[in-house]
Amino acid sequence: MSRDSTIKIDEAAGDWLAKRDSGNWSEADQRAFDAWLNVSTLHRVAYLRIERAWEEALRLTALGAGIQSGKPPPPGQWVLSPFFDQKTRAEQPELGMGRFSKDKAEANAVPSTRKNAVGMRFPHIARRFGLAASILLGIGLGFYVLHVNLLQGKNFSTPVGGVASVPMSDGSLVTLNTNSRIHLAVTSTERKVELERGEAFFEVAKDPNRPFVVSVGNKRVIAVGTKFSVLREANDVRIVVTEGTVRVETAMGTGEGTLKPISAGMVARATDEGVLLQSKPLSEAEDYLSWRSGVLVFRDVTLADAVAEFNRYNTRKIIIRDPIIAGMRVAGSFRSTNADAFVRLLQQGYPLRMEQDGDEIIMTAQ
Amino acid sequence: MRRRIWADPPYADRDTRHFFCLPKTIRICLSFGCNVRRVEESLNSWFKDEILIHEEALLRYLMRAWPRRDEVYDLRQETFARVYEAAMIAIPHSARSFLFTTAHHLMTDKVRRERVVSIESTGDIDALNVLVDEISPEQRVSARQDLKRMALAFDRLPPRCREIVWMRRVLDISQKEVANRLGIQEKAVEKQVSKGSRLLVEYMNAGEWPAASVGHAGLKLEHDGEQGQHNQD
Repeated sequence: MSRDSTIKIDEAAGDWLAKRDSGNWSEADQRAFDAWLNVSTLHRVAYLRIERAWEEALRLTALGAGIQSGKPPPPGQWVLSPFFDQKTRAEQPELGMGRFSKDKAEANAVPSTRKNAVGMRFPHIARRFGLAASILLGIGLGFYVLHVNLLQGKNFSTPVGGVASVPMSDGSLVTLNTNSRIHLAVTSTERKVELERGEAFFEVAKDPNRPFVVSVGNKRVIAVGTKFSVLREANDVRIVVTEGTVRVETAMGTGEGTLKPISAGMVARATDEGVLLQSKPLSEAEDYLSWRSGVLVFRDVTLADAVAEFNRYNTRKIIIRDPIIAGMRVAGSFRSTNADAFVRLLQQGYPLRMEQDGDEIIMTAQ
Repeated sequence: MRRRIWADPPYADRDTRHFFCLPKTIRICLSFGCNVRRVEESLNSWFKDEILIHEEALLRYLMRAWPRRDEVYDLRQETFARVYEAAMIAIPHSARSFLFTTAHHLMTDKVRRERVVSIESTGDIDALNVLVDEISPEQRVSARQDLKRMALAFDRLPPRCREIVWMRRVLDISQKEVANRLGIQEKAVEKQVSKGSRLLVEYMNAGEWPAASVGHAGLKLEHDGEQGQHNQD
């Protein structure tokens, strides 16, 4: 293999990506593309490498949020856009990372990157803004809570391990995941759902005159007719869209930041500082929703993540004692409430020891 | 019911770890439950998330180890291909160290095959054993750093290309509409997308060697500069 062919393959890979991106993609194209991929693994990796960069470029959206015009900011001017220089959780690890590692990663990342941040030119202003924002937010939330209480809506909740569907008067259907609670308020002008905790999947009946709004803390997810799920983790929100598009609004800085629509196959994570978007194949996005049929699907995740997911559904919690096994990768699909089967299968395949300790299953390396 | 599981037991040897080391029950579950396309998709996303994120470090490593600068990009791609092929059989337990071990083996093979037994190159490769161990435990780059890297790479794109990438990725305007707005052919937009995607990945991962990799992308021909020499755009 020579340098020339490396360059040629790269160019071909770029051309394929651009062709797929163009919107004119026929079945014949797909066949030709598959054939090209199958010529050599070198073709495949060249394509994946470029595709990844192209997907990553979606991150630029986070930088573009404060920019009104259709033009990109001149090079080096990113500091002016709001996302770049807050001590942000927008730098949270990828969506796939587990809840276990999240806190640690944050603790490590924040102090060091804050110093390096290109944008920390005016730290005092940023801090003052932050203070003003949190006061405003506090007042806003106060009013909001009051407002919600005044509306006489209905509350629904599920216990740990439960999944339940709630039909709404407008024809929409809400499915609640384990340990979740919502408040419904349907009026003639708006359909409103407050996700107080947990996760819910919404199949929204089309009604252009009454937007469907899911509010989660200070964030709002707005849809007209579509299917999507919303998961609340403290103040963060994960949104998975499987049909149509939704819009997310976060209370940011002095006003509301309206962000670009999230379309089918996308997974978004909204934190107080921004929204991270990931485009996935639809089938993969749907794995996030397999809980509706009582199944958890893992695609090559760490054992720690898989266990954290199981613990959401079961009162008897699995606890990992050894950091070595926490990083093991697992894949598979399991009944969410049958942690025993999961534990048994793991024991068969790996050198693990399980111990029952009251309401806990302790997992250690053998 | 579909039920599959794969993982690598932590005790297994890095190179002999294999699908067939898995217990029989699990192997059977695997072969019954797998839908080829889904497996391929998950392999691809594993490859992107666990291997391609180390591209910058890999390039740095190859640059240091391999005496002929202009072959480094081929080595990088070949390393990726070997890792991908190995992962089709079993996903390696520690992706990062597997990647570097593969690169190391590839270089050793090449030295043997081509009999480039210059003292320099063999010396370098031996020294690399130490490096491989040093390299393995690195924290995932934070998404914030990724964002910064992306922004810097994006800034280096030629103006037209930059504008088009912005319209496609941030404003989410179709190629057709971009062509309309800029008053150019759709084919020209497609060309810029191809160029933009290739340049982004090179710029993001070029590290200390920006000039060389631009040359590689075939978009701006330059001879490889000395190590650490930064070229102006």
